[in-house]
Amino acid sequence: MINQAVYSFSVWLDSLESSTLLHESFYMYNWIESTHVLFLMVSLGMLFLIDLRMLGYAFPNVPASKVAEKLSMPMFFGFAVMIITGLLLFYAIPVRSGQSLWLRIKVVLLIAAAVNALLFHWRMKRSISSWDTDAKAPIGLRLGAVLSIIFWVLIVICGRLIAYDWFDCAHGQSGLAGVLAGCIDGQAQF
Amino acid sequence: MSDKKKVAMDDLQVSALAASATILIFSAIYWTVQIQSVREMLEMAYG
Amino acid sequence: MSTASLGSYYRTIITVAVVLLATAFLFSSLRVDAWVGLKPFFEWMGTTWFGVIGTTWGAVFAVVQAFHLLAMALMGGAIIVSDGRLLGLGFSEMDEREVLDKSHTIFSRSLAVVLLTGIFMACGVAMKIYYLEVYWYKMLALSVGILFTYGIKKPLLAKSLDDISPLVRRAVALSSLVVWFSVAGAGRWIGFSG
Repeated sequence: MINQAVYSFSVWLDSLESSTLLHESFYMYNWIESTHVLFLMVSLGMLFLIDLRMLGYAFPNVPASKVAEKLSMPMFFGFAVMIITGLLLFYAIPVRSGQSLWLRIKVVLLIAAAVNALLFHWRMKRSISSWDTDAKAPIGLRLGAVLSIIFWVLIVICGRLIAYDWFDCAHGQSGLAGVLAGCIDGQAQF
Repeated sequence: MSDKKKVAMDDLQVSALAASATILIFSAIYWTVQIQSVREMLEMAYG
Repeated sequence: MSTASLGSYYRTIITVAVVLLATAFLFSSLRVDAWVGLKPFFEWMGTTWFGVIGTTWGAVFAVVQAFHLLAMALMGGAIIVSDGRLLGLGFSEMDEREVLDKSHTIFSRSLAVVLLTGIFMACGVAMKIYYLEVYWYKMLALSVGILFTYGIKKPLLAKSLDDISPLVRRAVALSSLVVWFSVAGAGRWIGFSG
């Protein structure tokens, strides 16, 4: 059901002229992909520094609230650019991307990372006054920071693996891989 | 601060300025050439 | 200028000499000779364990590449924070000495991971990158970046920060951002080439 909807939506996107133009453009696709990857330095770079501050490895003598406050702005800007460029990358190759096992795992991990970030933010806001100048955050927040790093390591690995075609529906996936990738019986477009 | 220390600081700053100027000038030339070659390629591809 | 005062400017003299020698090397036939001479080394890289693993197991190559990107992200974050602080962009309420020193430590550790994973990846695609012009620009930018960071920026910032002129601070921060952006940008372009 969901797989059929994703497939139909992807096929419709693929039929749009601008999707084809973007996919077949001389430089634009590469520039978008480069921007997506290079903005890791702004988004993940800042996020990792915040996480490392909570673990006591980065700027332990700067109040944690100050680090989080100052680095959040560039981090959110970086993530905004990554979301826009990520959507454009999907738009350029919709059918294959929609049925990419790695992209699907990546999306699940992104949701998990977002939930973790929200919980982290909520917990931090509630308790910050009691440990702001400590080198390390309390154990619960440190766990959140470790989880955040783990999620993002896996997200980047999955993102990198999207380029590989091991589980592409075009190769006729069967069993669990076919179901998870969302391959449709008798599908005409790949 | 002694005179000797002042001179040492100046050396650090002058060398930093020289290196920075070199990097900025070379990068400006490199990226200008790259942008120019991309423009030419796009003109050939799309007219 | 007396010999004594010339001696006090040894860093400047060495910097200018390195720049002149590097420029002469780049614009002479020596560059091509060195490139030809390096071919057996790149052929050998492809035959090492790293080269064999990189070419045989795509998944291993991809995972190593992902860690290359993760380390690059952290390295980039450290550069943005330290150079942003020097440029006075947004991190002004964070103690400057603390920010610069800790950023440098994080930068150095991530650079080590970037270099190690980069060597592995280079072995996996040794002959491809040997013939890629953009790879050599990346190596040039990387060498300049390392020399600049450890030979110029680090010693400069080790001194009292109040004694550094605003012009020098901005020039150093801007060049650092430009050179490392060039490394990352050229690196990304390697993936699209060949």
